[in-house]
Amino acid sequence: MISYIIRKEAMEVSRDGRTRILAIVMLLLGLVGLLAGWANYADQQRNAQFAQADDQTVFLDQGERNPHSAAHFGRMAYKPASPLAAFDPGAAPFMGQVIWLEAHQRNPAMFRPAADSLELGRLSNFSVAGILTVLLPLLVFLLGYSALAGERERGTLRQTLAAGTSTGKLFAAKYIVIASTGIVLAAVTIIASAVMALFSPVALSATDTLVRALGLTAFYALYVLALTGFALLVSALCRQSRTALLVLLGIWALAVMVLPRVGASVAAQTFPIPDGAQVWSELRADIASNRVAPDSAEYKAAEQFVVSRALGRDVSLAELATMDLNASGLRLEVTEVLDYAVLNNFYADIYDRYAGQRDVRRWFALLSPAIALQHASSAFAGTDFVAHQHFSDVAEVQRNNIVRVMNEDLLLNGAGATTYLAGENFWEEVPEFTYQFPPVSLAWRSAAFDILLLLLWGAIATALAWTVTRNRLTV
Amino acid sequence: MADVLRAESLSKRFGTHTALNSLNLSVASGEIVCMLGANGAGKTTTINLFLGFLEPSDGKALIDGTHVQSDTTAARKLLGYVPEQVALYPSLTGLENLEYFMRLSGAANINETHLRSLLDKVGLDQAAATRPVQDYSKGMRQKVGLAIALGKNATALLLDEPLSGLDPKAANEFCSLLRVLANEGKAVLMATHDLFRAREISDKIVIMKSGRMVAALDSAALDNATLEKIYLQHMHDPDTLLEAAS
Repeated sequence: MISYIIRKEAMEVSRDGRTRILAIVMLLLGLVGLLAGWANYADQQRNAQFAQADDQTVFLDQGERNPHSAAHFGRMAYKPASPLAAFDPGAAPFMGQVIWLEAHQRNPAMFRPAADSLELGRLSNFSVAGILTVLLPLLVFLLGYSALAGERERGTLRQTLAAGTSTGKLFAAKYIVIASTGIVLAAVTIIASAVMALFSPVALSATDTLVRALGLTAFYALYVLALTGFALLVSALCRQSRTALLVLLGIWALAVMVLPRVGASVAAQTFPIPDGAQVWSELRADIASNRVAPDSAEYKAAEQFVVSRALGRDVSLAELATMDLNASGLRLEVTEVLDYAVLNNFYADIYDRYAGQRDVRRWFALLSPAIALQHASSAFAGTDFVAHQHFSDVAEVQRNNIVRVMNEDLLLNGAGATTYLAGENFWEEVPEFTYQFPPVSLAWRSAAFDILLLLLWGAIATALAWTVTRNRLTV
Repeated sequence: MADVLRAESLSKRFGTHTALNSLNLSVASGEIVCMLGANGAGKTTTINLFLGFLEPSDGKALIDGTHVQSDTTAARKLLGYVPEQVALYPSLTGLENLEYFMRLSGAANINETHLRSLLDKVGLDQAAATRPVQDYSKGMRQKVGLAIALGKNATALLLDEPLSGLDPKAANEFCSLLRVLANEGKAVLMATHDLFRAREISDKIVIMKSGRMVAALDSAALDNATLEKIYLQHMHDPDTLLEAAS
């Protein structure tokens, strides 16, 4: 019997001009958002590849030069945009895209560096994910506000129940039709985004893309299920469909427009991210307070470690004292080794603050599933702050490697030289920076709590709507 | 003939207000019973109790032996229901509405020929059958409502003011059809304000007042004037007692 009700509901939905217009508008906006996102992505990718190649050419063509001077000249690490950024740019525009790898210093990403980003909210972005997050509730609420209240108002509820069906079956059919409409619209845009991602210049593996696309579809489906539950719950409780519409529009404004912004603001106030000037001054202070005296045991141990690693064999302190090494090279590399942990701890603290912001926003996600969806969606698109942290950490390892190669060359080959210059072919020994996107397992870990919240939202809203419809919906 | 609709000491109270007070009523197969009474007399409450839309405070409602409150869905499948305003889905055509409600009731052998024959039987223009019902007049809606009851092959028909707002021709057609259906064996219980048409088509008339059945009359033994006199007498007498016309 449910199939007949579903068929009738589908016929009504398909003949409803408002639904058709909104669905077409959503699809068009989704298409435009996808194309705009893709254009941005392709542009960013092209620029990154061009800049990376240019940076390499300049580095390799620098001729004879002091290695430490070259280490200060540095390299650039360009963050490749996630192929799914065209679907959901997430926090990427707020986190920066290029990291300057230079001696002594771990730099934040440039072009919207982390230090300048106060929040991870991105509803204002014209992206497919943003469009879906904002407009899916409108579509579902427009389909659902009169689903039960309207039946009661028109008198068709009496007619339907008198025909011998139950409120449970009526609820189930309406739930299936409304939810399916929203899920199909979301799935179409996600599949289109995934297909584009497969053909992107830095494609993820097909399996990875498929898992991410399936995950995104599941999250948006859970979002739609929660919205459908709410729409039917309000429709069952309100005597008039007009009242139900007003209540649902209020919920939409609060859950989709207000709470995500309030959550982001509260998060930014609770866990403030230092700006550029603060980063430098705090970092300098941290480094200064962690410096050890050159005659200390810790410093000597660091010297021993640096030379042993450079030579590829263990060197004792006694042997070290007799070795003919470039003192400047040794000091520079020891400083790098000693500062490495300080730099990493400092940035770990910044990323902890981002995690703190996310946790604050999760409290607000208890009031709005849109926030949980934003977290899960950007995690699976590879554009959340966790994905950025992965890039930043990999870039830091690369910075450390570059500086180490430079310092070791100076250390081992510059002994006795007043001004040591590395040969023009030396620069080819410096490894190129290559970046592999983090596996999808990182996204699972990053978004596990948000996925759980979405599951709870879907289950609770549906169960509430079902219970109220069964027990409270009267003719 | 066997009773199809049966109310046994059926009562319904809303707080301190008694909407229906210990109603005993039966409608046999092939019989048309009309309930007369002012607004608030308990007519619609009776129909709602038979439909299972209300829980009785006391007593029980039975449809062909099925206890409505115990097995509401099964009882509803035996009923055809035509309210004052037949509610249909406006964007669906008459045919689609008819098919939908018939399928909900579990009717078998549904095909377009059968559906069209049902609409033909209730006198709905075939060209109108494929138009959305949002363009229908009230009379056309009532016909679709009756076609739904027919297509459902209901054992009993409950009609709540079905003639209200119909023009005389449409009302005549509707009543003629009811008689045809009763002759086919349906039990018909109709609430109406129209005394004269009730007398014309019914086998029995019951007069309701303040939740009580105050008179049960044999229609065949009445003329219009007598019925009107009895009705008005009951409406104005605060202490009317149940009486039966011979």
